[in-house]
Amino acid sequence: METVVRMGEAFASRTPGDALACIGLGSCIGLALVDRSQGVAALAHVMLPVAAQPDPPQRFKFADLAVPALIALAVEHGALRTRLEGVLVGGAAMFQFGGSGQDIGARNAEAVTRLLEQSHVPVTATATGGGIGRTIRVHVGADMHVTAREAGGREEHLLGAPLAGKVAYA
Amino acid sequence: MTAFTDMQLDALRELANIGSGNAGTALGSMLGKSVDISVPTAAVMPLADAVAIAGRPDELRHGVVVPIVGDMEAIVVLLFPDPDARTLCGIYGIEPSTADGKSMLGEVGNILGTSYINVLAQMVAMELEPAPPQVVEDMLGSILESVLLGRGEDVDQALILDSALMVEEEECSLSFLLLPSAGGIKQLLERLGL
Repeated sequence: METVVRMGEAFASRTPGDALACIGLGSCIGLALVDRSQGVAALAHVMLPVAAQPDPPQRFKFADLAVPALIALAVEHGALRTRLEGVLVGGAAMFQFGGSGQDIGARNAEAVTRLLEQSHVPVTATATGGGIGRTIRVHVGADMHVTAREAGGREEHLLGAPLAGKVAYA
Repeated sequence: MTAFTDMQLDALRELANIGSGNAGTALGSMLGKSVDISVPTAAVMPLADAVAIAGRPDELRHGVVVPIVGDMEAIVVLLFPDPDARTLCGIYGIEPSTADGKSMLGEVGNILGTSYINVLAQMVAMELEPAPPQVVEDMLGSILESVLLGRGEDVDQALILDSALMVEEEECSLSFLLLPSAGGIKQLLERLGL
């Protein structure tokens, strides 16, 4: 079954055959944490770098709260903390609006990356930046893999497939 | 953001009605065709639902974004499904994905956004002007989430004023969204005395 993770939400699964997806990411980040040894995956749809208030209703909205919360969610579902790998997709800059929001996509990607580093979770693959929207999909199971698809493009394997690697746009 | 009363939503819907009527007339004279406008919806909803009302998040759209600056910040978004963008650009014999096509869609956005905003500005006595349009071809979800969060503000809910414009004889329709910033909605309602 495919679960669509919408803005500010997160979902975890260890059921083989499940898929988790953030569809149509723009400046947001689809952050996947996977433990391939245990077949557990968690996916969050992160919207902004930092929470403005200490205890907001949706903690997965903000990178600073989402990263620790997603790690906890993955562990709750049976992931081993030390076996977690991170995959980041999204963070595009499709428009320029000026003001403090200047390139919110890049700031989202930076914030998530920094938080993962602080939590000692390695980032294994990314498809971030540029000016195009993307979809991230995590396929749960023994052959756990993560894919990214650009608007109008093909599904590219980011993790857990022969072509695993890094696709970055400066 | 606080919830709106029915009276406030009615007032915002009426603003959208007049604004989109004016925009439709402007588009009609540009194309030399008559343009029908649907009764606009005014809805306040969580961001995730706001994306969902416009369609499936992975559907491709031609999007024209016109930032509005001045006394109130807002963003006008025009969304064209690909066949509709083709029909519209086809009136001038061009393809929507080319530079000329993007330029034409941007111009449509400019005309619609300007005429909509002008009448709105007059009604609420504000100085508003459109910034240059930005044209993209991307997934609906990606376009809307980038627009809704573009200023980096923490918004929980979006006010969406949504009208559909239909060009007669051409079977071409587009969605027209006005997305005021959180502060902008408050200002609008204050000016209306609500």
